[in-house]
Amino acid sequence: MNDAIIRTENLHKTYTTGKITTHALRGVSLEIPRSSFTAIVGRSGHGKSTLMHLIGGLDRPTGGTIFLAGEEINRLSNSRLAALRARKIGFVFQFFNLLSSLTAEENVATAMMFAGAPEKRQSERARELLSLVGLLDKLKAKPSELSGGQQQRVAIARALANDPEILLMDEPTGNLDSESEAEVLDTVFRLHREGKTVVIVTHNNEIARRAERIIKVKDGRITGNE
Amino acid sequence: MNIPKLVVKNITRRKGRFVFTLLGITVGIASFVTLLSLGGGLKKEIRKQASELGANLVVTPKGWCAYEQVSVLTGEQLPEAIPFETVLKIAAIKGLTAVPYLTERTAYKNNPVSVIGILPEEMKRFKNWEMEQGKYFSAQDERALVIGSGIAGQFKLKPGDELTIRGEKFPVSGVLKETGGKDDIAVYLPLSVAQKLYGVGEMVSFIAIKVDDIAKIDAYILQIQETANVAVVSDKQLLRSVLSIVGTVSMTLQLIAAVAVLAAAFGIINTMMTAVSERKREIGILQAIGAPQGTIFSLFFLESGFYGLLGGVFGVVGGLFFSLFASPYISQNEFTTLIKGSDLAGALDARIVLGSIIFSVVVSLVSGVYPAWKAARMTPVEAISYE
Repeated sequence: MNDAIIRTENLHKTYTTGKITTHALRGVSLEIPRSSFTAIVGRSGHGKSTLMHLIGGLDRPTGGTIFLAGEEINRLSNSRLAALRARKIGFVFQFFNLLSSLTAEENVATAMMFAGAPEKRQSERARELLSLVGLLDKLKAKPSELSGGQQQRVAIARALANDPEILLMDEPTGNLDSESEAEVLDTVFRLHREGKTVVIVTHNNEIARRAERIIKVKDGRITGNE
Repeated sequence: MNIPKLVVKNITRRKGRFVFTLLGITVGIASFVTLLSLGGGLKKEIRKQASELGANLVVTPKGWCAYEQVSVLTGEQLPEAIPFETVLKIAAIKGLTAVPYLTERTAYKNNPVSVIGILPEEMKRFKNWEMEQGKYFSAQDERALVIGSGIAGQFKLKPGDELTIRGEKFPVSGVLKETGGKDDIAVYLPLSVAQKLYGVGEMVSFIAIKVDDIAKIDAYILQIQETANVAVVSDKQLLRSVLSIVGTVSMTLQLIAAVAVLAAAFGIINTMMTAVSERKREIGILQAIGAPQGTIFSLFFLESGFYGLLGGVFGVVGGLFFSLFASPYISQNEFTTLIKGSDLAGALDARIVLGSIIFSVVVSLVSGVYPAWKAARMTPVEAISYE
């Protein structure tokens, strides 16, 4: 499929801690189309997060290949991989996404710094994005002064800072009450409608139900792809 | 956002730890600066004393140790071991002027005072002394005192007053004009009177010599040694050996200061290691949003260097204040002359100031290498997964 923005072939990942070897992924091949909304579901410890880390270039596979927008990313040097993360991918994690010593605005600006944006542009774009997620009044707030939902929305704004093609989210609502969860999901679905490729690792049935595609992971293998 | 801004945001987030780590390096650098300027000041002082002695050569008994050589310059009490007839023999050599010193001590109003026996006429010519008040000795064996201006000021003495030395009363005949050196803080009396007073027979402590032709100084040394069984050192040798002692002392002091700086460096390493493990998660976030390893390294490396820069500046200022405060007790030092605005001293001080700050920054940067390396080599997943 030519339109796949993410493609993996026979992906393996094993971890060795002391004498114990864990097979986190055992041959995962998948394709994720551009502008799709994909949910990766499965029980804890079955390899969902590992899969997301590999796709996002945060970790390197033990075997197999990963293509991101046609580029084989497991061959890139550490610094090229960092540059790719800065420009092509926006991450949102479950907990403590933000840099605690920086304000909301500075958190967004920092992501742009790594893509080489000048400071004036950084602050304009940070305001624009924070207003997009409905937090224009919290520009100068530190993470400790924001609710969990607000923090996640700042994290989403930051993920969008360099206008990446792909948003990778690891349980972005896992830590939120239902009201905050709704706020965050509204934002995520809106972004998808605007053309972003969204890959979201989740336990949440509501998200899975609304996703276009579901990839089920069990014991390091894909057991369902619908 | 830029890297320096991020560094400053990070360093000040733990206020207490920031302040205490900074204090460590500040105190280290302050002591380093103080001792450095103290050592420099001491050397300067010694040079000044040596030039005031006004001699090209100093004749001493054989086998004097370095401490006794220092005492020639500082005016401490010295053993009397050269017979007066040796003085006469040496003075008879053509082309040189020789003046004997008998250096003793007394106490006046519970303060130690240098008492120096001299040949009045010879000494006056040798030193080009002038009188501030009263009159100089009128005879070679006059039972009277001529005192330095410092002594006169300290004890409020004027011509006509009496001073008791070793239980005998002496009238003050005159006060010398200020020379700015050790001559100001001594009491002089004719050599023969001093010898009798201290019961040392015909002996003197050392002989200062001025030669007419400085180019032939080695020949003079030989000639003096042929004439009498004594040791002869040139002012340059004397200065060199004294400076080497002072150098050893100030080197030791600086070593102690260096240990203080080293301890501060370990404080920085400790703080930075704590920061790295505390911010593991944030390092992961930074990597996820695209920070390359080099940037992670520089964030921590520069944070460490920032301690050095601030600590260096505060330390130099602290050292300067301490030197100023302590200067009345440790004679003149380089910082006090900086305040007076002398050009030469200013240049010398700029070197200490700049050198100390650079030293502080370098030490701190070196301290930062290991923590920064630890931070940079963390893989994003390792950092992200840390909770």
